[in-house]
Amino acid sequence: MASFVEPRRSNIASADVQLPGVTDYEQVDNEIIATLSPTKGWFGALAVAIALFLMGAAAWIYQIYWGLGNAGYAPPVMWGVYIITFVFWVGIGHAGTLISAILFLFRAGFRTTIYRCAEAMTVFAVMTAGLFPIIHIGRPWKFFWLIPYPNWRLLWPNFKSPLVWDVFAISTYLTVSSTFLYVGLIPDIAVLRDRETNPTRKRILAILSLGWRNSEPEWRHFMKMYLFLAAFSTPLVLSVHSVVSFDFAMALTPGWHATIFPPYFVAGAIFSGIGMVFTIIIPIRKFFKLQHYVTINHLDAAAKLCLVTSQVVGCAYIIEFFIAWYSGNAVEQDYFWNRVFGEWWWAAWIMLTCNMILPLSLFSQKLRRNASWLFILSIFINIGMWFERFVIIVPSLSHEFEPWQWGGYVPSWVDMAILAGSFGWFFMWFLLFIKQLPVVAIAEVKEIVPPRLRSHARGKGLDAAGHHRDYGTETPGEFD
Amino acid sequence: MSQSTGSAGVKRREFLKVLGAAGAVTTSIGCSQEKVEKLIPYLVSPDQTVPGVSTYYSTTCRECATGCGVVAEVRDGRAVKLEGNPEHPVNHGALCARGQAGLQGLYNPDRYRQPMVREGGKLVPTTWDKALPLLSQKIGEVRSAGRATNVVFVDQHASGSFGVFLDSWLGAFGFPAHHQYDSDADLAVRAANTIAYGVAMPTLDFAAAQLVISIGADFLDGRGAGVPHQLSFADARAKLQNGPRFVYVGPRRSLTGLNADVWIACKPGSEDVIAKALLGAVGGAGGASIKDAADASGVTEATLQGLADELKNARPSLVLSGVSTPNAGVVATIVANINKATGSVGITVKPAEPMGGFTGAVGAEQMDAVSRAAAAGTVSLLFVRGANPAYDTPKSMKFAESMAKVPFKVSFTSYPDETSELCDLVLPDDHALESWGDAEATLGMISLQQPVMERIFDTKATADVLLKVAQGDPSAASKFPWKSYRDYLSSRFPGGTASFTQALTAGIASGSVASRDAGAAKITLPSETPAAIAGDGDYFLMVYPHAVLGTGAAANKPWLQELPDPVSKICWQSWVEVHPATARKLGVVAGDHITVRTAAGTVTAPAFVYLGIRQDTVAIALGQGHTAYGRYAKDIGVNALDALGGTWNGSGAVAYTQSRASISKAGAFSPLVTTEGSARQHGRGIAQALTVTDLVAGRLKEEKHHLPGDASHEFLPGLRSPLAADAQGDLADSTAKEQGMYDPKHWSGMAKRRWAMTIDLARCTGCSACVTACYAENNIPTVGARWQGRSLRPGSATDEGAWDTRPGANILKGREMSWLRIERYFEGGEDGSTDFEARFVPMMCQHCGNAPCEPVCPVYATYHSPDGLNVQVYNRCVGTRYCSNGCPYKVRYFNWHGFGEPERRQYAFPEPLHLQLNPDVTVRGKGVMEKCTFCVQRIREAENLAKLENRELKPDEFTTACAQACPSKAIVFGDAADESWSVAKLAEDARAYHVFEELNTFTAVVYLKRVNHTTAVGGAPAATPVSAAVPTAEGAR
Amino acid sequence: MRSGLIAAFRELDATCDAIEALKKQKFEFTVYTPAPRHEIEHAVAAPMSPVRKFTLIGGLLGVTFGYWMAIWTSEYWPIVVGGKAIASWIPYTIIGFESMVLVGALSTVAAMFIHSRIPKITATVGYDPRFTHGDYGIYVAAAPERLKEAEATLRANGAVEVRGES
Repeated sequence: MASFVEPRRSNIASADVQLPGVTDYEQVDNEIIATLSPTKGWFGALAVAIALFLMGAAAWIYQIYWGLGNAGYAPPVMWGVYIITFVFWVGIGHAGTLISAILFLFRAGFRTTIYRCAEAMTVFAVMTAGLFPIIHIGRPWKFFWLIPYPNWRLLWPNFKSPLVWDVFAISTYLTVSSTFLYVGLIPDIAVLRDRETNPTRKRILAILSLGWRNSEPEWRHFMKMYLFLAAFSTPLVLSVHSVVSFDFAMALTPGWHATIFPPYFVAGAIFSGIGMVFTIIIPIRKFFKLQHYVTINHLDAAAKLCLVTSQVVGCAYIIEFFIAWYSGNAVEQDYFWNRVFGEWWWAAWIMLTCNMILPLSLFSQKLRRNASWLFILSIFINIGMWFERFVIIVPSLSHEFEPWQWGGYVPSWVDMAILAGSFGWFFMWFLLFIKQLPVVAIAEVKEIVPPRLRSHARGKGLDAAGHHRDYGTETPGEFD
Repeated sequence: MSQSTGSAGVKRREFLKVLGAAGAVTTSIGCSQEKVEKLIPYLVSPDQTVPGVSTYYSTTCRECATGCGVVAEVRDGRAVKLEGNPEHPVNHGALCARGQAGLQGLYNPDRYRQPMVREGGKLVPTTWDKALPLLSQKIGEVRSAGRATNVVFVDQHASGSFGVFLDSWLGAFGFPAHHQYDSDADLAVRAANTIAYGVAMPTLDFAAAQLVISIGADFLDGRGAGVPHQLSFADARAKLQNGPRFVYVGPRRSLTGLNADVWIACKPGSEDVIAKALLGAVGGAGGASIKDAADASGVTEATLQGLADELKNARPSLVLSGVSTPNAGVVATIVANINKATGSVGITVKPAEPMGGFTGAVGAEQMDAVSRAAAAGTVSLLFVRGANPAYDTPKSMKFAESMAKVPFKVSFTSYPDETSELCDLVLPDDHALESWGDAEATLGMISLQQPVMERIFDTKATADVLLKVAQGDPSAASKFPWKSYRDYLSSRFPGGTASFTQALTAGIASGSVASRDAGAAKITLPSETPAAIAGDGDYFLMVYPHAVLGTGAAANKPWLQELPDPVSKICWQSWVEVHPATARKLGVVAGDHITVRTAAGTVTAPAFVYLGIRQDTVAIALGQGHTAYGRYAKDIGVNALDALGGTWNGSGAVAYTQSRASISKAGAFSPLVTTEGSARQHGRGIAQALTVTDLVAGRLKEEKHHLPGDASHEFLPGLRSPLAADAQGDLADSTAKEQGMYDPKHWSGMAKRRWAMTIDLARCTGCSACVTACYAENNIPTVGARWQGRSLRPGSATDEGAWDTRPGANILKGREMSWLRIERYFEGGEDGSTDFEARFVPMMCQHCGNAPCEPVCPVYATYHSPDGLNVQVYNRCVGTRYCSNGCPYKVRYFNWHGFGEPERRQYAFPEPLHLQLNPDVTVRGKGVMEKCTFCVQRIREAENLAKLENRELKPDEFTTACAQACPSKAIVFGDAADESWSVAKLAEDARAYHVFEELNTFTAVVYLKRVNHTTAVGGAPAATPVSAAVPTAEGAR
Repeated sequence: MRSGLIAAFRELDATCDAIEALKKQKFEFTVYTPAPRHEIEHAVAAPMSPVRKFTLIGGLLGVTFGYWMAIWTSEYWPIVVGGKAIASWIPYTIIGFESMVLVGALSTVAAMFIHSRIPKITATVGYDPRFTHGDYGIYVAAAPERLKEAEATLRANGAVEVRGES
């Protein structure tokens, strides 16, 4: 009889966060599965999301027929709301991978209960972002020319163009993050499958779970695979937003042509992503009654991350201004002056307030541990980060080298409808997701729930043989 | 050939398909039965016509009285481009914007397509078989009623023999001679010249002068002989330090004024005193003292003294007048005397070589007489042809109202303008490009006008109509034996029919078919006591002919409406020019509507805040505010004539600066439809200039370095430096393995050339003719028409609310498509002083060696050709617009709407305008980028021709559309990699610079710095007015 | 003919004891656990998963393909843009990197599928839904004559229930 030994290294997921409210495996299954039953509120939210999405789709069709002239573009501002929103959504996506992959490698346990949400958010955000380059181009029906597909004319894209880098980065990112999401779901789907009573759903879940059985070899390969996927996603997430930043840094445009852009964009992306995570997870833990899973400690930890990235972003803003002054480049200086004190001052100050000043509140632990404040702050962060992209794109283009071609920019109703539609599209998918699949990773939570040991149970409800009582009828299984 | 197709309005593509079919290309490509029928006539091809190959006809431009020679390029039976005739003595190959837009007059969608007759109060289509008898009948009635002497014929002013023919026709019926009405003509100057020199318009030689003083003479604003004067002026300025210093005297700085080195802002109406002072200074009789002049004009004595001294020192000099005040005739006479006193006559002013075409015109005063007669009911029959007095005479004359009292009115005008819309019978004339005629190029030179294509509508040449009518009349028939007007011309042509036919090739011949005796035109001696500028109000109202639209005859041509005014850069709109100080006083900003009120009436238009106008003056351009005249002219802007009364300039023309006005803020606001972003360069060295002193001293670089950049890349002259190779990357390196077509030794030979362009800013006057040439050559859509803008409200095509019907709606969003634009930057004058400088920069794709737009395109839609072109592949473009973001020069334009799609309301070439489209150039569709191609179609055409003839390209064998048209010869295009091309030499000029060269884009466009004559002639202190010279409104009274 | 036993455990330590015992008796068995536990991993002491090899190979293939595609296509149409070299490898690093990540990640997942024999099409033998709920399980495959011995071991180490499977 082998003596029970403490593991050589402590369990990854439970490195620093415990779930006192969760005592055994069965509780996890039952509570998480309970969240899957639809509610009136959910149907309402879904209806709103779909309505918004349809409005955006209609606006897009209108624009395709009439031409991009119906959007607000006013040359020289050749890029507008669509590219802003594209960068915005890609940025949102980054937090998901950061939490699920990077924090996994860093053994940051607080990720366990929020990463599933964040990962789903990533996939849907990237799905949304991917639409915008297509919405934005003049001949959307030709977008596939950007993809290197074999054709008899042997015409290929220009691999020197940052837009082609985008195509690769975004499609890779979408593929890898959705794979990551799915494989992470497999054991949980197996759980759902085994708890499911409706034969049809059971069948579907059985197929989705690929016949996963929780056997020890499966787990062994699974953990290894998960580790390497995380190891791959980490540089990927950093590269994707660097590539997006190249879209700007590679052009001569004053305000764009800066080497600081890749780190600046990555920080911004993660910052905005965390903001969106708060926007999503705080209502979920409230309405799904998951406060004892996503505890205040988790939020506190995430808020610290948010604070750090906010500082990095703020630092980047300041460095941009410093370099503009230090370079002695008159054009650059003109532009930055115009950005903050010129015609675009309002946008710049919205950005600075939401991304630099308000997050400073997170230095206070009281506010870090106040879910409502975090939620309000996260809304400001989302707005601020959208305006960050606005400030980067519009003022730069409107105030370029050639003074004769300086101009302004006002988005049209089409821009706005499609922007709103993108939120509809995103939340439509997200809402559908949270009622079909667990928003908290069941298997990983079980990892941090202390296992039952005979030693724990001595004297409590044991039979003569020193074993637990028999199964009750409520217990699933084939033994009875 | 195309009678049927033309009048059926067949689309050009179908038309070409038909040709293709005729050329035994497969007939199965979507040719419907109906089209196959159209095949038949073309099976026998008309001589001289090879499908797809252009034929060229030399003819004469009739857009103004100058009579420039043009060569019409005709492709497949359609005139597609007008270019100046290089052999022509007047314009030497150049052509102004208005002249080039003649094509849009020919293909104007609003032309009368058949005769019209008034039935039930409105004009309805009829046929020639019905219309001509009606005309004869009316003539018969008038004569039988014995009222033949009360017939009035108003013709547009044009030189040549038609006037003589017309008078003989009128005479045959006992009608009085006709009036050649010209609202744009500077009659005072012509009268004064005729008296002083014996000719109306002597040739001016600017190059011979050391000093040019223009007293309100806007010879660069398309007044008078625009093109020849501009040619001469540009040649003079191209002499750099040896060229003339140019001083402009006048209340408003016109385009001519902006080209001057010094602007002396005198009070309107005081020009005569200044002229007298100058006359006195050069020892002429009847001079005035500098002090009187200073008091009258509000200019400091020092300034005027300086000017007088300069005039004394400058030998020879040239003084011009062109004021349009009531005392214009006086000024013109004094100025003529100045030129005599300075001994410049024969040197800078050459009466011995007079220009033709400037005699015989009458002004609004004559129309006033007609109007009064009509009002009195004494006009029995009114003919009008081309002229539009119902629009371009002051409203206070009530021409339209009195015209209504004429029992029967006949119009020969081709367009539904204000006047012909009032007529009872419209017999549309052929366009000049469809009919025969002749003009007086220079005195004793005939410039022939011949039809270059079949007429597209059911129109008839007026001369032929008159012949037919005469031949139908027993009393007159004998006097008119000719079958057609062509016979008339050829029979009377010096040397007879044979030499006539011969002359048609060159389009120019010496002699004269028949010219009106100049005496026929009324020469009024300018009265010595001219009417002063009347009326009360704190401001002078200055009305002036638009530099592009003139007095409105050009307003129905989209190219010209879309062409920004060279001074204000405003298009599709009227504006009121006010000085910044005045604007501050009124509390208006650009775009705020201003109401200008005079005794005669009021005009309200948005304000354009302009440094180049006195604080006590406001100015409005003519040419807009049509109430008819077709879709492109109607209801755009205001007609400044509404605020003018019947005051004449002493020679029968309206005194455009005749009264004071009170101005007030109207409350409304409409954004200016301008292409100007910032009027200041912010020290970025886009338009660079040198003073003569620096040029002579060899200080060629401006002190301040414009943009910090890699200093190791200084400008390397001639573009044959490594940068040409650089433009082609590794592949220009002959040691490189895989070079493809970039191999210098490649069979195509492409890589051995580098197409480049030089633009001499010392020559460029900003006239913008090149812009229109570019529109014409490259099928650039005009986007400013009131039906082309989409509004914010969603809606279908038929839903009016979904359309932004403000004229220039698209341009307000910066969506103009002009591949080539003229940037007008101001230097100095921030304090509102008159001492500021304007610099004009033609800006188009710079065809960078290292183009920032190329690498960012994901689909290779733009790349670098081996011969140095930055190529744009329309059908590969997906419209990411990244290239435009990368472009520092912002010269790439995007198709926001389907401007090239015929089925759309926004289509820029409504039938039959599409017949003008250049078959060598794609009409771009929705959603693709486009930009200047250096006229690649012309390059390839020339290369292919050389290949066919099995030879190398000859240096300067061909050029781009802009360079060809330029009336200043400022643009030179060619192969910079070959010294024998002139562009290669010019690119090495000491004044050469690249725009933003610090960005290391290695552009293929080289600018030559403008040269300013800042120091006074003869070393006297420069006549540089200070701001004090601009009196406030109070001081003006 | 082989047959098997399936046993359910409630406690982690009980499961580990059972594993040790079965190993001593040279039984072939599969362990089921609701969540990966290192105690079990150590008890079973199975060899290191070979998934990482696939990751390496996939990554190398990906980066090679990325560079090759970018360079070959540029050379195929040698078009100069912005005066840059036809095959400019520095920007192509991005293409190479992205395809490395893509192929590498997908081959990792594929490796996991292959090694853990999923997706499974056959009906699951020797499995109980309870193993995804809260219980540990052991499936022993053995010759019929040894089943008694195995059942004894399982029960002795605290199996809540033991059932025959075949």
